[in-house]
Amino acid sequence: MAETGTAPRATALRAEALGARLPPLVVAAERVAATVMQGVHGRRRAGQGDAFWQFRPYTPGDALNRLDWRQSAKSDRLFVRETEWEAAQSVALWRDAGETMRWSSGNLPQKGERAELLLLALASLLLRGGERVRLLGLRRAFAGRGVLPSLAEALERHAPPPADESLPRHARAVLFSDFLQPLEETRAAVGALSARGVTGHLVQVLDPAEETLPYTGRIRFEALTAGEAPLLLPRVEGVRALYAEKLAAHRAGLSTIAGAAGWRFTTHRTDAPPEAALLALWQALSPG
Amino acid sequence: MLQLGPIGFVLPWLLLALPLLPAIWWLLRVTPPAPRRQVFPALRLLRDLPVPEQTPSRTPWWLLLLRLTAAALIVLGLARPVWGPGAGTAGDGPLLLVIDDGWASAPDWPARAAAAQAALDTASREGRRAALLTTAPTDTPESTRPSALMPAEELRARVTALRPKSWAPDRAAALAGFQSWRQNNSGALSTLWLADGLEHQAEGDGSTPLAEALAAAGPLTLARTENRATRLLLPPRAEPDRLLVSLRQTPAPAGGQATVLARTGDGRALASTTIDLPAGATAGEAALELPLEIRNQVVRLDLDEDESAGAAVLLDERFRRRPVGLVGPAQSGTDTPLIGALYYLERSLSPTAELRSGSIEQLLARQLSVLVLADRPVSEGREREALDRWVREGGTLVRFAGPRLAEHPDSLLPVRLRAGERQLGGSLSWEQPQHMAPFPDSSPFAGLVPPAEVTVSTQVLAEPDPRLSERSWARLADGTPLVTAETRGAGRIVLFHVTANAEWSNLPLSGLFPDMLRRLVALSSGVAGAEGSAPLAPVENMDGFGRLGPAPGGVAAIAANAFAETKPGPRHPPGWYGVPGEGGERRALNLSASLPAPRPMAAPPAGTGFQAIGGVPAERDLGPWLLGAALLLLALDLLLSLGQRGLIGRPARLALLALALLAPLGSARAQQAGDLPLVTRIGYVVTDDPSADDVVRQGLAGLSEYVNRRTAAALGEPAAVKPGQDDLSVLPLLYWAILPEAQAPDPAAVAALNDYMRNGGIILFDTRDEGSGEGFSPGAREALQRVTRSLAIPPLAPVTAEHVLTRSFYLLQDLPGRFAGGQVWVSREEDRANDSVSPVIIGGHDWAGAWAVDARGSNPFAAIPGGTRQRTLAYRFGVNLVMYALTGNYKGDQVHVPAILERLGN
Repeated sequence: MAETGTAPRATALRAEALGARLPPLVVAAERVAATVMQGVHGRRRAGQGDAFWQFRPYTPGDALNRLDWRQSAKSDRLFVRETEWEAAQSVALWRDAGETMRWSSGNLPQKGERAELLLLALASLLLRGGERVRLLGLRRAFAGRGVLPSLAEALERHAPPPADESLPRHARAVLFSDFLQPLEETRAAVGALSARGVTGHLVQVLDPAEETLPYTGRIRFEALTAGEAPLLLPRVEGVRALYAEKLAAHRAGLSTIAGAAGWRFTTHRTDAPPEAALLALWQALSPG
Repeated sequence: MLQLGPIGFVLPWLLLALPLLPAIWWLLRVTPPAPRRQVFPALRLLRDLPVPEQTPSRTPWWLLLLRLTAAALIVLGLARPVWGPGAGTAGDGPLLLVIDDGWASAPDWPARAAAAQAALDTASREGRRAALLTTAPTDTPESTRPSALMPAEELRARVTALRPKSWAPDRAAALAGFQSWRQNNSGALSTLWLADGLEHQAEGDGSTPLAEALAAAGPLTLARTENRATRLLLPPRAEPDRLLVSLRQTPAPAGGQATVLARTGDGRALASTTIDLPAGATAGEAALELPLEIRNQVVRLDLDEDESAGAAVLLDERFRRRPVGLVGPAQSGTDTPLIGALYYLERSLSPTAELRSGSIEQLLARQLSVLVLADRPVSEGREREALDRWVREGGTLVRFAGPRLAEHPDSLLPVRLRAGERQLGGSLSWEQPQHMAPFPDSSPFAGLVPPAEVTVSTQVLAEPDPRLSERSWARLADGTPLVTAETRGAGRIVLFHVTANAEWSNLPLSGLFPDMLRRLVALSSGVAGAEGSAPLAPVENMDGFGRLGPAPGGVAAIAANAFAETKPGPRHPPGWYGVPGEGGERRALNLSASLPAPRPMAAPPAGTGFQAIGGVPAERDLGPWLLGAALLLLALDLLLSLGQRGLIGRPARLALLALALLAPLGSARAQQAGDLPLVTRIGYVVTDDPSADDVVRQGLAGLSEYVNRRTAAALGEPAAVKPGQDDLSVLPLLYWAILPEAQAPDPAAVAALNDYMRNGGIILFDTRDEGSGEGFSPGAREALQRVTRSLAIPPLAPVTAEHVLTRSFYLLQDLPGRFAGGQVWVSREEDRANDSVSPVIIGGHDWAGAWAVDARGSNPFAAIPGGTRQRTLAYRFGVNLVMYALTGNYKGDQVHVPAILERLGN
C-alpha cells in the first residue's frame, strides 16, 4: 500500500478519501474501547485518573516533592502521593490485509474492516493505559492519547507481513486474521515472533458463512485470490458436515500452534458485537 | 384452413415448426443447468472434500418434457386453432341467412343467435358476402324481403340486434320477398335456414314452397333444434273451483313434464301445477286448484321452462273477479244488518266478486256476469226485455224468493210457481221444518255437503212439471226443489226458493251459502253485455320471450267489439289492451288463443343439408388459451430451474407450487370447511320434498342476508339438518316447514329435538296454511300434530302484543309472512331456565316463502293479500325472530323503561 513513489495526485486523492474515512473508524474504535474501559473500571478501581494509586503516610526518607500538600493539609499528618507502578510495555498489533479479508456475506461488515476496528479499539485502550503501541513492520512506536488518528492513518498505509526485526524482546503481539492460509505459514510467522521472546494472541476473524457454509444446490465457488482455480460443487448441502469437520480441524491446528508458542487463540465472528471480543482481548492482555 | 377433427387451424403452415421440436430437445439435453457462482474465501478448506453424490449434469426428463410441451403449445397457439369451426355452408356463392324469428324460436333463441353468428364467422373467414331474411313480418312494408348483400361482418350487428317476434312467421310472405329479391340478385347462393321446425299455416304446407325456392337458388342447409318439443300454452278453462290449463306441443320422442306457473301482476308465482306429457303426446292438461280469492290475483300463466310468447297466457277479467250486481226489493233497508234482504249476499260474495248496486238498468249498462235479484219481481216492459236479452247473451240471473215474488211471479223464472208460499213447522202446519237433501250429481253444487242444522221453514213451490227434476239443483229432504235453474240462450236463470235472509230458512246463516254462491258466480261465463266499438289502446305488449313491456310504436288500438276476432300480429302484438291508467278495464290478447295446434313442418326437399342448433359449442378461438398454457408452463419451468440451482429455497418453492396448483381448489376447500360451526347459521329441517326444502333454504338465505344488512348479527348460509343425525347444538334457530305428508320423527330425532329445545334452541313450525293462506296446504295441521306428538311441546298461548317477539328489534303489531292474519303460538309459561325464551314458535304464515330470494335477487313468491308492506313486515318479523333466538329476552326489559325514565326525570 505504500505507493508514495507513484503519482502524487493519486496519493493526494487517496489521502483525502482516507481522511474522510478515518474519523468514523477512529470514533467507532474509541466508542468500542470506551465501552470496555467502563466495564473494566467498574470492577477494578476506586477513583479516576491513570496515575494515582494511593496515599500513604510520610516516612522519613521520602522525597519532599512527592508530598501531597492538599491531602496533608486536611489533617495533622503528612501524606505521600503514590502513583501506580507503570512500566510501559510495547504491544505490537497486526492485521491481515490479504484478499480473503475483503469479503463478507450479506450485510455484515467485511472481515478486514472488523479486524481494523478491533485493532484500533485495542490500540485506543492500550494508549489510555499508557502502553506503547506499534504496528508490526513499522518502526515507529505510538504513545500518548492523541495518536490514535495517526495510528489509524499508518494502519491504512501499511500492509506488511507479520514479521518485525525491530520488535523489542518480550514485547507482546496481537495478530488479527482469518488464518485461512495453510497452517505452516501461520506456524512460521508465530514461530519467528516467539523466537524473539514475544508472547501474543491470535484472533481469528471469520464470516458466519465461512463457518456454516449455508449454500445449497449446484455452485461454482470462486476464490478471492487471483490465480486460484474455481471449484464446482454439485450439491453443496451434501458436503456441509464435512466442511464443518475440516474447519474444526483447522482451528484445532491453530490452537496447537498458539499453545506451543505460549500464545492464546480466540475466534471472532463478524455477526457478533466487537465489544465482546475486545473485552476478552483486554482481559487477556492485562497484567494480573 | 386445415381441419383436424373438431379443431381447425387458420394458419396451418405454422405447424411446420413442430418438426423443430426434436432439435429443441437435443439442445436442451446437451446443456446442463448452469451453476450458480459464489465467491468464497475459505475455498481452500472446500477444495479436497470428497463429494458424496453427483447430480446428473443433464436436464431431468420431466423438465425436458415440460419445455417441449411449452414449445409445442406455442407453435400450436400461433397457428390460430379454432374449436368447432362453423361447418361452412356448401357452395361458394354469397350466404343467405334465413331466420325464423317467430314466437316458436324464442325458447332457444341464444343457441339460434349463436348458430347464426357462427355461420357469419365462417362466411367472413371465407370472405363471402351475406344477406339476411327474417320470416316473421313486421309492420314495415317488405319486412320479409332479404337484406342487401353485404360483408358478413356488417351483418353481424343486425343479427345481434335481432329478437324473436311474439307472433308467427309468414313463410308465404317470405317466399314472395325472396322471389322479388332474386330478380336483382340472381347469382348462385348458399343458404342456411335456421328453422323453428313448425308449420305455421293452419292448413296445408307453407314451408315446402319456400324450401324449394331456396334449394333452387343453391345448396340449402336447414338448421333445426333436435328432440325438442315446441309448446303452446292455451288459455285456461275456468271451472268453479279450479282452472284447467292445457297445452299443445309437437310430438316429442321422450316424455316429460311441463310446469305451469300462476303468477300475480308483479310476476311472482302464486301456485304451480305439472302437466304430464308421455312420449309422443301432443296435448296435456292439468288442473290448477286455487281458492277463488287467490285465483282472482292470478294475472298470467307461464310454462316454467319455455320463455316464449306462446308459453304465456294473460288472464283478464273473464278469468277473474266477476262483477255481480245486487238488486233488492224496492224499498230501503235492504242492507240492514241481519235482516236486510242483501245483507247476507253482500257478505258472502264480497271476498270473491266485485259487487255493484243500482237499478237494473244502470247495472245492465255495464258488463256484468251475475245479477242477483232478491225478492224483486221484474216488471213488464223494458226492464223485463232488457233482462231477457242480457240472459240470452250469457248473463246469469240469480233470484231469491220472498213474499213479493210469491205474490207476483213473472216469466223470468226457471219454473212456474204456485201462488203463495209453503209454510212448514209454523203454527198452522203439522209438518216440521225440512232439512236439505244431498245435492244430485248433475248439480253444480255436487261435492258440497249440506250441514245437518240447515232447515227450511218456508219456501215457494214449483208447479209440477216433467222437467222439474232435471232443473232442480238442490232439494229438500222431502224432494221439493230448493234451487232450480234453466238455461236460456247463452245464459241461465237460477232461483232459490227461499229468501236471501234468515226469514224463511237458516240457509244464509250456514257456511254452505257462500260456497253455493261462489260456485254460481264461478259458473257464470264471465262478463257479458254491452260492448261498443270503443278502441282499446295497447297498454303493455309481449315480446317474443313472453315478457311484457311498453307498447312499441306501430301498435294499433283494437275496437272492443272486434277484439275476439283479432289475431295477434305486428300491428297487434299479444299483451294488454284497454283503457290506460289505474282501474281501467284491460283485456288480454293471447297469442295461443288464435294459433293452430303446433305441428312439425314438412320435410325439406331432397339434397338439403342438416345442422343441429344448440348442443354444438360455438366456434371458439383456442389460440390465446394455448399460448396462456404455454406461458404457465414456462413460468413453472423457470421456477423449477431456479429451484434446481438453489436460488430459491425449498419452502418458497413448495409455497409457490402450492399457490399455482391449489388456487382453483380454494373454493372447494372453503366449501368443505363450511361444515364447521365457525359462523352463526339458521338451520332448517330437511323434508321429503326437495322443492319445498329449496324454498325454505332460499327463504332463510334471504332472511340471513336481510339480517346481515340491517343488524349487527352476521349470519352464514342456512344449514340443512336432519334431527338425530346432524348436530343441532350450534344452531340458534331451527325452521321446520310442515308438509301435509310429514310423518312423525323417529325416536333418535325426537330425543335430539327435545334435547335441543331443553338447552335453549328454538324451533319454528310453519304449517303454511294459516290466515290468508288457508287452503294452501290442506292436511298440514294434522301433520303438525303427528310430528309434534312425541315432542316436549310446552303449553301454548297466542303471541300477545307484549311478547318479546313483537319488539326484539322492530316494533310489530302482527307477524305476517307470505300469508297474514293467522295466529302464532308460543310457550305459555315462561321457563326461567332458558331466559324465558319459548322453545317453540308455531304458525302457518309461510315466512320462508316471503323471505325467499331467487338467483336473480327478486322475491319469487307473491304475498297474500299482498303488497310491499307485507313483505317488509315479514322480513321484520324474521329479524325479530333471529334477535329473539340470539339475544333471548334481552328486550323484555323494555317493560321497565317507563319506570327507568321516570326515575331519571326525577
